[in-house]
Amino acid sequence: MSLEDYRTLFFAGSLVVVLIAAAPTLGLVVPFARSGEGFSELWLLGPNHMAEDYPFAIAVNEDYRVFLGVGNHMGCSEYYTVYVKFRNQTEPLPSMSDSEPSPLPPVYEFRFFVVDGEAWESLLTFELLDVSVEGDSAVVASIAMNGVACSVDSVSIWDAENDGFYYQLFFELWLYNRTSQDFEYHNRFVGIWLKLSAS
Amino acid sequence: MSTLKFAVVFLAILVCLYPFLVFESLASNEDVATLAINQAEDVVASAYEAVLAAEQAGANVSSLIVELNDAGELLAEAHAAYRLSDFDGAIVSANQCSAIGESVKNEADNLRVATHGSRVMGSWLTVAGSLVGVVLVVFGSFWGWRVFKRRYYREVLRVKPEVAQDES
Repeated sequence: MSLEDYRTLFFAGSLVVVLIAAAPTLGLVVPFARSGEGFSELWLLGPNHMAEDYPFAIAVNEDYRVFLGVGNHMGCSEYYTVYVKFRNQTEPLPSMSDSEPSPLPPVYEFRFFVVDGEAWESLLTFELLDVSVEGDSAVVASIAMNGVACSVDSVSIWDAENDGFYYQLFFELWLYNRTSQDFEYHNRFVGIWLKLSAS
Repeated sequence: MSTLKFAVVFLAILVCLYPFLVFESLASNEDVATLAINQAEDVVASAYEAVLAAEQAGANVSSLIVELNDAGELLAEAHAAYRLSDFDGAIVSANQCSAIGESVKNEADNLRVATHGSRVMGSWLTVAGSLVGVVLVVFGSFWGWRVFKRRYYREVLRVKPEVAQDES
């Protein structure tokens, strides 16, 4: 090997060691972009904390339990609201294509904060309080959510094909937007169908 | 007699005005509840912004998030009470929520300042360490190269030239 070859080798080796020594400072200056897009999870589990045995055939004045959970993968701590809504078979659900929430008023809500990479979970008990059935229509006047009575006044028509009055309890996820300083629908919802029998 | 008449008339006026007075009181209670909830929402939102700023400064905000969740729960309770026209309940919950929100905001601001100070100090130490490291490597390389070059020439000069015989 000639002296020129040795010089090149020496220079390259020194450059590598200089870069290693400067790496901590470079780490402060060079921003490392977060890979992937941020997202949130929304889930609903049955009374045994499993994705099974969800309440379906329900009776008046009986407690039913579900677990509601939200996971934050947005890159920073987030401020969420989950609106609990109650609808009959014809009332509108949120629109996935337009990212629009259901226009129905919430009967209950959860407000919480989740650190990035962590999850929030809460138990929700619900109970139909005031139900009247007349002919082929049923009216659910109020429903208790975690012990709080909420007025719903929802009318359902008898579904002869599926043999029952059908309602849906669904949960919309809303996220606080720091720019607009208001909550915005986060285009995620989960729900369960509830069958109320005539007896 | 005139005093009795006056008392009866006054009582009659009071009876007539009673529904309006009660309605006015309910309406003002509703207004107070609305104001309290709006204020609680603003306080919680600004507390969240403060916590986020502390988090971005590198602070561990887990305990603040737990406190903020208490405030969020109270705010949800205030909304539930309002929906049920329990305005007094809504005011109580909203005020408790505001108190927690204010406290979280102050804690978050203090945490951000403290974290920022120690982070700036840490950054300076890192930069100084790197600078010293780079200077040492550069000088070390030059010194090493000179030593190497000297040894290289010495080795080259030590090699004796061989005289080759011309066979022709």
